[in-house]
Amino acid sequence: MITINAQYQSRFREITGVEKEFFHLEQGTVAALAAQITGKYGPLMTALLMDEDSKSLNSRGTLYLNSKGQRVYLEDDLNEGETVFFMVGIAGG
Amino acid sequence: MESRLLRVDLTTGECSVEVVPHAMFERWIGGSGINNWIMWEHFLTHDINCDPRGPDNIFVFGVGPLAGTGSGSGIKGRITFKSPCYGIFGDSAAGGKFPYMVRFAGFDYIAITGKAPRPVYLYLCDGEVEIRDAAHLWGKNTAEAHGALRQELGDYPSAAHTLTIGQAGEHQVGIAAVVSDASRIHARGGGGCVLGSKNLKAIAVQGSGGIRVDNPRGLLAWSRDFRQKIDQNEAIYGFKRRGTLGAVEMYQHIGSHFWRNNQGNMFRGEEVRSDNWVKKYHKYSEVCSADCYIACDGRYKIDGTESEKAKKYVGETFRRPEYLTTGSAAGALDLRDWAEVAHWGKVTNDYAIDNQDLSCSISFMMELEQRGLLSARDKGELFGRDQSLEWGNMEDVEALMHNIVHRENRFGDFFNDGPYWGALRYSEFKGENFMKYAIYGKGGASFTEEMRPFPTWMNNMAVASRGADHLKGIGLVEKFQRRDLSMKYFGRPEAADLTTPLLKGACTAVVENQVALLNSYGVCLFHWMLDPGGFTPEEYYGRAFAEITGIDRTPEELMRDGERICNLEKAFNSRLGLRREHDTVCERWMHEPCPEGMYPGKVASDMFETVLDEYYDWRGWDRKTGLQTASRLASLGLQDVAEVLAAEGALAPG
Amino acid sequence: MSHTPQIEMVTGAIWYAAGSEIPDVEQKLYALSNQCTDCNICEVACSLVHSPDGMVNPLLARLHVDHSPQVGRKIVHPFAFVADICHHCGNPPPCAEVCPVDAFYYDPATNVAIIAQDKCIQCMECVPGCPFDVVFVAPDGELLKCDLCGGEPACVEACATRPEMSNAGKQYVRAPVLFHTDTAGYREVLQGKPEARDEVGMMQAMLKAGTVSSAA
Repeated sequence: MITINAQYQSRFREITGVEKEFFHLEQGTVAALAAQITGKYGPLMTALLMDEDSKSLNSRGTLYLNSKGQRVYLEDDLNEGETVFFMVGIAGG
Repeated sequence: MESRLLRVDLTTGECSVEVVPHAMFERWIGGSGINNWIMWEHFLTHDINCDPRGPDNIFVFGVGPLAGTGSGSGIKGRITFKSPCYGIFGDSAAGGKFPYMVRFAGFDYIAITGKAPRPVYLYLCDGEVEIRDAAHLWGKNTAEAHGALRQELGDYPSAAHTLTIGQAGEHQVGIAAVVSDASRIHARGGGGCVLGSKNLKAIAVQGSGGIRVDNPRGLLAWSRDFRQKIDQNEAIYGFKRRGTLGAVEMYQHIGSHFWRNNQGNMFRGEEVRSDNWVKKYHKYSEVCSADCYIACDGRYKIDGTESEKAKKYVGETFRRPEYLTTGSAAGALDLRDWAEVAHWGKVTNDYAIDNQDLSCSISFMMELEQRGLLSARDKGELFGRDQSLEWGNMEDVEALMHNIVHRENRFGDFFNDGPYWGALRYSEFKGENFMKYAIYGKGGASFTEEMRPFPTWMNNMAVASRGADHLKGIGLVEKFQRRDLSMKYFGRPEAADLTTPLLKGACTAVVENQVALLNSYGVCLFHWMLDPGGFTPEEYYGRAFAEITGIDRTPEELMRDGERICNLEKAFNSRLGLRREHDTVCERWMHEPCPEGMYPGKVASDMFETVLDEYYDWRGWDRKTGLQTASRLASLGLQDVAEVLAAEGALAPG
Repeated sequence: MSHTPQIEMVTGAIWYAAGSEIPDVEQKLYALSNQCTDCNICEVACSLVHSPDGMVNPLLARLHVDHSPQVGRKIVHPFAFVADICHHCGNPPPCAEVCPVDAFYYDPATNVAIIAQDKCIQCMECVPGCPFDVVFVAPDGELLKCDLCGGEPACVEACATRPEMSNAGKQYVRAPVLFHTDTAGYREVLQGKPEARDEVGMMQAMLKAGTVSSAA
């Protein structure tokens, strides 16, 4: 059992209603974290976070970073106390 | 494909209309591709080294074939000219209703040369053209001029849509912009200055004609599919609500902002750090460009209850700031109140001036003051007064902006071409080198985002044909670490990895080709950027292009078309004497370590030359000189361009 | 009856006998102007489905985004815009009632009043006859009135702010600009959640006050 800190920005925060929260995971993987988040927030979060076609995290218009600033993928492992940031990925203007 | 080009010589007042031949679309796709060719041909008979503010410069407006056909992919009109502030190739895009109304008035392309003896505006209506007196518009800002034209022209046969310059363009400020329908700005490169130098205050159009589509049923089916793909992506929903402003929090997190002349890369103001303000100010529905399924634009209104500083702007209403409006105001100038950021957006739009170059010019001065490099005597010489230069002080910002827009003192005159030329002139004037405080990339153009941790972005700043800019080869793959896209383009993941220079230059080259295609179709980049369902320019958009024009191309052929367009822009710059040494960036980016954020300590020089070499390799250009080679140009069907370059010694040997 | 392209759009056009009771239109079409994003796709889609030869032209559309909305005779703001669309008044509608040559027929599928171009003498009486200014004149003089596309309006399908965008979670109620259900849908939005109500009625209120936000 490990503890992961999830932090939400922008559209993610709008859906969750909180800026950050802790998840306790049996397995230290991003897949387990994503399953908990989508389970908690339902279809809207699933639509935002998951890509139905490729069965991976939705990579379009989003950015998920660990505390080292690297993008995380569904198959990645997570260590105890890791923070994952859920952000929208837009640039320009 | 039916399409017409209007040529206007303002010196003689002659107007002529040409049919754009179908072969032109086959070679140059449309939009920016055809614009570039019109300008290229013009400078075969006119001196390319002419003064950009003189009558020999050309101003081309064009719309691509997809614009306004109901494809739902957004409309972008494009202006192309020789840039007065950077002295190189210049072009800029903006949305709104003006571009499609130009098509309904019976034209797709407008090429303007010469210089009118007195202020005029150009009136187009259903195939007819008139050069009209604009004395009553001169001196007005873009909102006033647009309103006056609307009232004057009435509602028949359609509402009037306009392209206007503001006071900055009238004073021939190098970084002056052109504004479409008073709210959408062609900012980069100084198009407003070119129009101002031609005494052309505005172009107004009314039209009742139509656009004929090759296969309307096919197009409707395509746009239905396009719409469904957009609807399926939840991320787009957030984008509709915020536009590019949604990037503020993410940029804050990774340290990609531009703070106080890039001495930092995170916003300091409590309020500007999040996009929560959207709820506070954003009281109306989304607005969109035209013919767009996303509608990411919005309107704000200030009623004075939002903050102490908002009381100054009660009743002000305008388009919600985009990211770079915010990046320049809340970042470069450190304004910490949203009302001020919004007001900055409105004022730069009314004056019609590029907020990137403008904010970097002002922040350069503010940094000199911060470092104690400005004595009372220096300020007297620059401003003719004891000017306060305090970070985040809106009054100081507006005073300096006024100076530049009206070129009214030494500061305004030095910096009318942006921070690079301003710093250079000031350094010469004082006999002391201040260049290390100026932020610029290719051509002296500046940009208000942190670049140092992002090698593809830095490469964009050095090689973009219109001077430092992100929209030519936008480095999304890298900034969002899109391993999936890297695999798709190259079959390898390195382009998405920030720690290696590998595939960074290659990524710029590939994306530049794609963006050149999109710009030539005349569509908005955001649909492609958010990519809800594989919106590849060469495959997905290529099908819509075929339905509209009847030109059926394979994706490989279309990518070559994109490359051809990029190569023509490059050739234009090569004729002007640009070589490898001009593909560079400023000292702060190159050698000062990135101070903070998620990726501290990075400097551009770590990877810069490696990435640049790789970019030239992928382009098939010579590494040593940066010039194009005859063989690569020939493989793109550009033998005629190669001959011109060879005659001027602007072709790489071999 | 001769076949104009417009009549071909609807199935089995029927003329009702003079004086007969014509049932009202069940499907209404509403535009919430304050939700409109001014994307003009409705106009483009309308003109494309009504054009026999693939011509995109908003001036041939049967609905308009009005860029010079007026209060009384005064243009309220140079940047304002309001979506105008046929309200499908009770039958016979005012536009048909003022027609001197009875050039209106009724689509049996929807009971919508449609102008028969072969009977129309282009006197334009129906233009001021319409209380909502939504009978339009094409550049060639043809009178244009919404025909609901036989029951499935192209504009509604194309509208960029459409019901589907409200999404599964309903975190933020996104009202469609155009819808063609009965009045219940319209009322639901007007009386809906507070977030939606912030925006609903805004344009109407501003028009009343004579101020409209600036954006084009």
